[in-house]
Amino acid sequence: MPLKREAGWYKDAIIYQVHVRAFNDSNGDGIGDFQGLAQKLDYVQELGVNAIWLMPFFPSPLRDDGYDISDYRSVHPNYGTLEDFKTFLLSAHERGIRVIIEMIVNHTSDQHRWFQESRSSPDNPKRDWYVWSDTDTAYRGTRIIFLDTEMSNWAWDPISKSYYWHRFFSHQPDLNYDNPAVCEEMWNVMKFWLELGVDGFRLDAVPYLIEREGTNCENLPETHAIIRELRKKVDDQFPGAMLLAEANQWPADLRPYFGNGDEFHMAFHFPLMPRMYMGLRLEDRKPITEILQQTPEIPASCQWCLFLRNHDELTLEMVTDIERDYMYDIYAQDKIMRLNLGIRRRLAPLLDNDRRRIELMNGMLMSLPGTPVIYYGDEIGMGDNIYLGDRNGVRTPMQWSGGWNGGFSVADPESLYSPPILNPVFGYQTVNVLSQKRNEHSLLSWMRHIIGIRRSTPVFGRGSIEFLFAANHRVLAYVRQLGKETVLVVNNLSSAAQAVELDLRRYKGNILIEMFGKNVFPRVGDLPYLLTVGPYQFFWFRLRHI
Amino acid sequence: MAEETLLTDDFLRQLINVGEVDILVGLPTHNNAKTIEPVLRAVQAGILKCFPRERVVIINADGGSKDGTPELVTGTSIDDVWRASKVYALRTLHAITTQYALGPEPGTALRMILAAADLLRARACVVLSPDSTAMEPDWLQRLVGPVYSDKFDMVSPIYSRQKFEGVLMRNLLYPMTRAIYGYRIREPYASEFAISGRLATDFVTSEVWNDEWGRSGAEICLTVTAITGKYRVSQSFLGTKTQADRSASDLVAAMRRTVGALFSSLDSNFPLWSTITDSQSVPTLGTQSELAPEPVRVDCERLREMFATGVAQLEPVFRSILSAATLCELQRIANLEISEFNYPADVWAKTVFEFAASYHKSIISRDHIVQALVPLYRGRTLSFLLENSDDHGDDIERSVESLCGEFERLKPYLLEVWADRK
Repeated sequence: MPLKREAGWYKDAIIYQVHVRAFNDSNGDGIGDFQGLAQKLDYVQELGVNAIWLMPFFPSPLRDDGYDISDYRSVHPNYGTLEDFKTFLLSAHERGIRVIIEMIVNHTSDQHRWFQESRSSPDNPKRDWYVWSDTDTAYRGTRIIFLDTEMSNWAWDPISKSYYWHRFFSHQPDLNYDNPAVCEEMWNVMKFWLELGVDGFRLDAVPYLIEREGTNCENLPETHAIIRELRKKVDDQFPGAMLLAEANQWPADLRPYFGNGDEFHMAFHFPLMPRMYMGLRLEDRKPITEILQQTPEIPASCQWCLFLRNHDELTLEMVTDIERDYMYDIYAQDKIMRLNLGIRRRLAPLLDNDRRRIELMNGMLMSLPGTPVIYYGDEIGMGDNIYLGDRNGVRTPMQWSGGWNGGFSVADPESLYSPPILNPVFGYQTVNVLSQKRNEHSLLSWMRHIIGIRRSTPVFGRGSIEFLFAANHRVLAYVRQLGKETVLVVNNLSSAAQAVELDLRRYKGNILIEMFGKNVFPRVGDLPYLLTVGPYQFFWFRLRHI
Repeated sequence: MAEETLLTDDFLRQLINVGEVDILVGLPTHNNAKTIEPVLRAVQAGILKCFPRERVVIINADGGSKDGTPELVTGTSIDDVWRASKVYALRTLHAITTQYALGPEPGTALRMILAAADLLRARACVVLSPDSTAMEPDWLQRLVGPVYSDKFDMVSPIYSRQKFEGVLMRNLLYPMTRAIYGYRIREPYASEFAISGRLATDFVTSEVWNDEWGRSGAEICLTVTAITGKYRVSQSFLGTKTQADRSASDLVAAMRRTVGALFSSLDSNFPLWSTITDSQSVPTLGTQSELAPEPVRVDCERLREMFATGVAQLEPVFRSILSAATLCELQRIANLEISEFNYPADVWAKTVFEFAASYHKSIISRDHIVQALVPLYRGRTLSFLLENSDDHGDDIERSVESLCGEFERLKPYLLEVWADRK
């Protein structure tokens, strides 16, 4: 039974991003699977999250970790069967956990039946399902995204003796959304999964659906028209289902993806993420407040999706050159850590495994306007392996215990899909769920606590935000408000204790209740409210007029 | 009763908000509204261009301006600069201002700036003149760079000047400082310089501030402290220094701040300077820029009159300060027509040294001694301008170098009068 899809459920969600392959192996073949994931749903529930976002699990040659789909209506045999998926989905819903799946709409694998047919002959009915050309000169104004591997957005197909268009790897041909049959078939695919009960889709690479000469082939009006059409069908036939946009764009370019509340329900706020890291290292709120001030208002039914890390590199596409240089110098001095325009590292290693900074970043993630996403393993401070190729270094097996393969699989270690983290700082013997569950002061325990507070306070998911520009620029303070509920958030971005005076006169008469310890702080008066905040410390205060 | 504090509570509150910085830019001001904006623009552009990642604060110590100078400092947004330059500021740039109630006192302003640098643990502190309208953004790099990146403790400027500008520096402060302390620092009394956090801390906590001359001539005391404390000193060519027109009364005040402080420094540093017999160059960065000569804007006849009148009217004072031979020579020069006027370098060096020795012995009030030097300095100024009437650039530098040679050659004479004069 699907969970009842209340309108706007995603605003109160805390999403846990999981790769089936990396989470838990139930059959001992060295690869995570749906039965294994289902076995760990109690853990997910105890963590406190109420939604799971699954990375691609469809049949695929796995040349891009599943983002190269060869069959949209099935499950990759490595991960189980469609029945296994249905069982997992049911178990998740029984625990009140919604399930969001990936939908890679822009392109398929070159092994997909559609592409095989398309390349077979210019006369094949599927020929126009992809973007073909006799030359590689069209759409010259289009940037190349995978700079480290691709020289062009066109690739020569020796079978059909013509060029096909691809925005990502050359083995991922772009679908031709000028062809109504493609739009119709993609809707049929989505409908298939919605009828099974999934609660929403993360639509991958949506800005690139349409190509037009003389443009950069991104964010085109025709692309928005296709999204509006999909959204209408979702609303009409599966009300409450959610569409989440992956569009790595500037806020002003992202805004149209919400339309008038008739395109995406949610979109990732890509530019904010690197600026949180930047603000932390600069010990200066400026990058964060600036990007949020530049972020346009979105329709009431819509929501930003916030994250600290994900399965990709920490993207630095949405920063200026000087900011990118700074981020590389600070967070990726070793060039092996860099990939494309980004940094392929996990949260804990990025922050030097500093518990205070990890907590502060999660505190901001949970308290800034939007729905937070937690990348699997970051809740226990998992490390990465920068010596694995591409982005595989941040996709290593989940570390459940200090035992065999970190509790991920009973297979021989050599047969695991990826070597687990073994180093003495981040290895599974040191960092694992089992040991952290036994320690009430562990990062995992702390994450459960903050998630619990966040979920108990709708103001974080739905409230307005107003920045308090205290004279001390090392302190990022803001007020979240929803109805009569008001929460004051004070973050110290500095490695040193700070004194800060906050202008809270409009809240005169309120007392402040610190939300983690429930302690009462002095009443707000006419004078600036003086707080001292420890290194990387943050406060959440509920304001009460008593 | 509580002890009077240098920093006001409000200023302290602002400093707390700024926190630790890498670079502190100090702007001492007093009614500089007409010139402060281009200076601020140059500073901000320099920060964006040369130090985009560093934590920088601009601190304005104002001596009670009535023309809105502090408001201009705090109201000038760096956003306008980065939009124009397309260079993005990573960090918050604080510009804070504090006023001290005692009126314009360069020493007080400098002390507040250095105290702030100490509190904020600045790695480099640069002080800039609010009337340097020719300032270029690169000045910041040239001054701060050697301190910030190359571990120098003090960077002194070298300017391209018209020959009628910087005459006190060329004829007295530079030759005297060089001969006494043995370092060839072209601007020992600079309104623009950079120092390390270490030197800022040491200087602001030194005994200099307990001395009236130290307070009023803090800049030259800072240079002397850097030399005598064996700090690493360098110089940077900055370019053109425009000089605001100053009245005659400004000269007396300037002499008090500079010559008085320099003379005063000789007392406590005698064991050091008395053993120095020559001078050494200091590392100098950059290259001198050529300056198109401008016509001399000096009334030479007026200078001659002021010199002759001074020599005549102050004869009783001079009898207690100068040797008979020197006074006699001055009286001879005072009778010369302008066409044959010449105040030779050796006579000028002896004059200065005899004044320094008298100052040391406090033959009369020290302030009167410094004031009495003013008309004689005017005579030397006239002689310098006449000697170099057709010279430019390198010629003038050779003339200055020759004068420095005389000061160094006659240093034993200073030691002699220092010990003998009653």
